[in-house]
Amino acid sequence: MIGRILALIIRYKTISFGSFPRLLSIFYWPSVQILFWGFFSNFLIENNSTPFIGILSIILSAVVLWDILFRGQLGLTMSFLEEIWSRNLTNLFITPLREYELVLSLIIISSLRTLIGLTPAIFMANFFFNFHLFELGFYLIFFFFNLIAIGWSIGFIVSGLVLRYGHSFEELAWAIIFILLPFSCVYYPLDSLPLIMQKIAQIFPPVYVFESMRKILIDNQIDFQQLHKIVILNSSYLIFSILFFLKMIKSSRNEGLLINQGE
Amino acid sequence: MKNCVVKVSNLVKIFDKRKIIKNISFDVSENSVVGILGKNGAGKTTLLGMLMGLILPSSGKIEILGEDLNIKKNEILKKINFQSPYVDLPKKMTVEQNLYFYSRLYGIKNFKDIVNDLVDKLKMKDLINKSYGSLSAGQKTKVNLCKALINNPKLLLLDEPTASLDPETSIFIREFLLKFQKKNNSSILITSHNLDEIQSICSKIILLKFGTVVSDGNLNEILKTKNYSTLQDFFLGQG
Repeated sequence: MIGRILALIIRYKTISFGSFPRLLSIFYWPSVQILFWGFFSNFLIENNSTPFIGILSIILSAVVLWDILFRGQLGLTMSFLEEIWSRNLTNLFITPLREYELVLSLIIISSLRTLIGLTPAIFMANFFFNFHLFELGFYLIFFFFNLIAIGWSIGFIVSGLVLRYGHSFEELAWAIIFILLPFSCVYYPLDSLPLIMQKIAQIFPPVYVFESMRKILIDNQIDFQQLHKIVILNSSYLIFSILFFLKMIKSSRNEGLLINQGE
Repeated sequence: MKNCVVKVSNLVKIFDKRKIIKNISFDVSENSVVGILGKNGAGKTTLLGMLMGLILPSSGKIEILGEDLNIKKNEILKKINFQSPYVDLPKKMTVEQNLYFYSRLYGIKNFKDIVNDLVDKLKMKDLINKSYGSLSAGQKTKVNLCKALINNPKLLLLDEPTASLDPETSIFIREFLLKFQKKNNSSILITSHNLDEIQSICSKIILLKFGTVVSDGNLNEILKTKNYSTLQDFFLGQG
């Protein structure tokens, strides 16, 4: 089992970090985001456009945390789609690789890609804006795992849909996260949304993560009820998405889609 | 009597209410080379897919190396392999990275030695550091074949193994496969539209027509009984 998972991780590492352009594509976007939002926040502070002293910290924390979710989803989906684009699915599925080993490998490589992608952005934020993400303390680790888990849930659903229903669902790999963005309350509180949107937002775990983050940074308080909701919702979504992905693999076997699938 | 490497019983596959494989049964004995023939749409690829566990049968039973494929799939997959010019390997990795990747997936311990040996025997040393995506169709076929032999399979499934190869390389590959099959006591199931190739290497044929087996047996006996001199004449005579 470990050998096969290691084989897949080495493969995904090679395609993700194997050349400078590929490596660059992993970390340039979070860094650009940090610089953009950091300079914008500085502008607001310098022009007294905001009464919040901690606005820089709140916005940059939100940027980094949102990117954990985004990178987590993209890292998982892109690694799996690479198998489809390479027309490698047939060869992969006739090896003794078990489906849960594929799931674990995708989770591990998504974590690696996210960590590597975000590290330069965090250093840049520290260098340019004297921003310390670790102000969130232990809860940073909690938020990291929960946000990346949301990314994995979305990644497994998108990957399953592309495998079963074809390339038309590939667009979802990029788009779905931006559908979720307004409901996640990354940069604004939940009560600033219209009531109907608030109801929808509360179905998804990101809103509780970002509400908790603001509570820690603004009020220096922790809402344990919200943390509890995050864990319950995330576990449910992750279990559902993995079962969905496995079901899509089975359905693809039934429909004969694992032979000769590719670009 | 030889043991069965493959035993297919009453196999049926239905796609969208259309029966693609219609209640077929056959077996493949050990140390044999068997050709699966049929026109496009006869069900050859679907049959190969089901033998590898890639396609789930609608009903029926497949036993490979004495085990039920439905129950012991992962154990069986360690001992079989497949090559097709229509299935690629990861394009962004080199040939060596690809072969190491698949060796690890098959749990091969001394894989570097095995890869070196196969690369040497298949005369592809010059390809080893090249990106798979940069290879010609013929070169890819050779690399795919190398991947298919990496776990020393007891059952090798080949889908048009010499398509896109020049005649000289085709002969080399055919001879190589036969040597491999004899040395390792393996069995080979091969589909090809190259009937001369099938006649030259297969001892038995299974002819599929619209998802049913219309002929199954020793190639020479079939030709003699039906009074045909070549496989091509026999194939064309089946309409």
